[in-house]
Amino acid sequence: MSRVLVAMSGGVDSSVAAALLVEAGHEVVGVTMKTFCYSDTPAHGKTCCGLDGIVDAKRVADALGIPHYVFDVEEDFTRDVIDDFVAEYARGRTPNPCVRCNSNTKFRDLLARGRVLGCDRIATGHYVRIESAGDGPRLARGLDDSKDQSYFLWALPPEMLPQLLFPVGELTKKEVRRRAHELSLVTADKPESQEICFVPTGDYRDLLRKRLDTVHPALEPGSIVRADGTHVGEHAGFAGFTVGQRKGLGGGFAEPMFVLEIRPDSREVVVGTRDEMDRDVVTVSELNWLATPPLPGARVRTQLRYRAPAVEATVEWDDASGTLDLRLDVPHAAVTPGQSAVVFEGVQVLGGGRIVSARRSVPVAEVNA
Amino acid sequence: MDSVYLDHAATTPIRPEVRAAMAPYQDARFGNASSLHRWGREAASALEGARAEVADSLGAKPSEIVFVRGGTESDNLALFGSWRAGRALGRPPRIAVTAIEHSAVLDAASALRDDGATVLVLDVAPDGSLELEGLSTYLEAAPGLVSVMWVNNETGLRLPVEAVTALGHKYGAIVHTDAAQAVGKIPVSVATVPVDLLTATGHKINGPKGTGILFVREGTQLHPLLHGGGQERRLRPGTEDVAGAVGFATALRLAMTSQAETDRRLSTLRTDFEQRIAAALPDVRIHCGDGQRSAHVSSIGLPVEDGAGLLMALDLEGLAVSGGSACHSGAGAGSHVIAALYGSDDRYATVRFSFGYGTSEKDVERAASITADVARRFAPISREIPVS
Repeated sequence: MSRVLVAMSGGVDSSVAAALLVEAGHEVVGVTMKTFCYSDTPAHGKTCCGLDGIVDAKRVADALGIPHYVFDVEEDFTRDVIDDFVAEYARGRTPNPCVRCNSNTKFRDLLARGRVLGCDRIATGHYVRIESAGDGPRLARGLDDSKDQSYFLWALPPEMLPQLLFPVGELTKKEVRRRAHELSLVTADKPESQEICFVPTGDYRDLLRKRLDTVHPALEPGSIVRADGTHVGEHAGFAGFTVGQRKGLGGGFAEPMFVLEIRPDSREVVVGTRDEMDRDVVTVSELNWLATPPLPGARVRTQLRYRAPAVEATVEWDDASGTLDLRLDVPHAAVTPGQSAVVFEGVQVLGGGRIVSARRSVPVAEVNA
Repeated sequence: MDSVYLDHAATTPIRPEVRAAMAPYQDARFGNASSLHRWGREAASALEGARAEVADSLGAKPSEIVFVRGGTESDNLALFGSWRAGRALGRPPRIAVTAIEHSAVLDAASALRDDGATVLVLDVAPDGSLELEGLSTYLEAAPGLVSVMWVNNETGLRLPVEAVTALGHKYGAIVHTDAAQAVGKIPVSVATVPVDLLTATGHKINGPKGTGILFVREGTQLHPLLHGGGQERRLRPGTEDVAGAVGFATALRLAMTSQAETDRRLSTLRTDFEQRIAAALPDVRIHCGDGQRSAHVSSIGLPVEDGAGLLMALDLEGLAVSGGSACHSGAGAGSHVIAALYGSDDRYATVRFSFGYGTSEKDVERAASITADVARRFAPISREIPVS
């Protein structure tokens, strides 16, 4: 059996992942990534090692009889994830920090450290699966539809696939909890983490205020306008908005209004009706492929938000800019720049990228006419 | 697979003789040394016996030995205690320390600086030489406390405590030395090197953790940091840890009586180890190799970026060693000692191998071979090493 490096967050999924690997007879090495400090004082050494996640992961590792180490990735995490998160909001986009973290920080570091620690395989507690096929391993959705996390893993370095193990991807969340109870793991009843880990208050605007310049356009008041330019209100800073958002736009509209677009240059937040949100051409950049990239005209499925259903689309390449256009069969509401567009063939993740923009190929007026 | 423990500078196993000496005081002879009754008298007798034994080992008088609860406490009592006494006498608050002191001294000095003391931090060269001229100038202006460790914990480097003591005394300064890594490893006697204050701790010499002493030469003014029942001549109040004192005294005696033999044995082991490492990994740097070193430490600089990963990898292969110093290797912070000796932009990752009671030739051989194997996994410089 091989030596496996397993990333343990201190949550129940990665705890069970580690336990399953031990059960399977692997030599398991547990690690927890120390990504950032909750305290306001940056890089305050040891105080951060008391974070609950690290302590819980250590307790699980002790119970399983495996070594456990802490990887301090705070510097990389701050640069690659938090700075990017802040910069994206400042540009009027809505980032996926977990995608950045997985691809830029977590897996890259696991790969490098795994090599020097003599580990042949790397495992995490993600709900995804590795399927073996003639052309090599493929990344596929987890068996539990309601927990599938493939949306967050499209940006992995493809050369890592042969090394990856996702033991809980074959289970449902219910089964994972049951296994954790059977093993009396301290994390068995730990609640799900829903918030972005570095925004414990749940309000990311606090973080933006802290990390952006005191006076930053993204946090300055601006106009709320309709698509035709009609001024309909004021907002306190466009960084507080995301495409599809309904909250915070003020009242007085004849029908519900949603954010259609954020224009950072003019600080305008464009709003419109539910119908006006629909987009059917999604432009995607910063592409990464875990399988052979789809050819022009290929029929694929694409998922445009975490937990959103995948929708049918046709692939078009813009050879000049290297970007991908996904032409959706059915227009989709609230396609949000900055979010990931993940491309699937069935349950297999082909790859993905960041949404740059989305448009309506047929103007709304014509549809309504 | 058996693990190899080469981290004796971090802590050591308790010797069976020490455990046996302590046992009665953790059992039937549990008395409080301050009590008048038989239990108390038994305890007091054991405590004073331990004090006399420690004094004898160090060339001191029993009344000069203050039992404390470890090296950190001893260092703090030395620095804060003499500063407070000096303040009461109206002396200017001045301290001189080296840049490679243990953090128990450096952090105490920096806390005193926050309280208004002037602190001189002396540079140390990798060969162990100090800026004695700078120290002279500093002390000439006004004496104070000089604290210079006898043996550095991260490198084994010996510092010229004798010369510093002579210089300090020339200007009327009080001289403290942290000898936690020196006792039992090199000859240490306050009769031949007349320091005023000396720190030693039990767990570095196969004694119990949480034990130690501060030697306070007769006539040296010192104020306590804690206040209470007046034990230890008021310098360290609190019910005495009799078993700890007995354990410390026994461990110290064993360490002192076998010091010359230990030095010979560990010197042979270290030479063998360093030859093996240098042969397998020609790009390594042996820290303070040109200085006088205590034989129990071999600090090796490896040209790899990921020092924390290196220690983890060695642990996984069954080799227990430290980074710069065990006190902060868990946090992944760099070593202030290596930074002071080799510069803060130094690219080497440090691994400290430290030998002691029970270390065998086979351990050293295995440690060298594990280290060589693991170091070759690291890019890029290790890759260029020819496989012998």
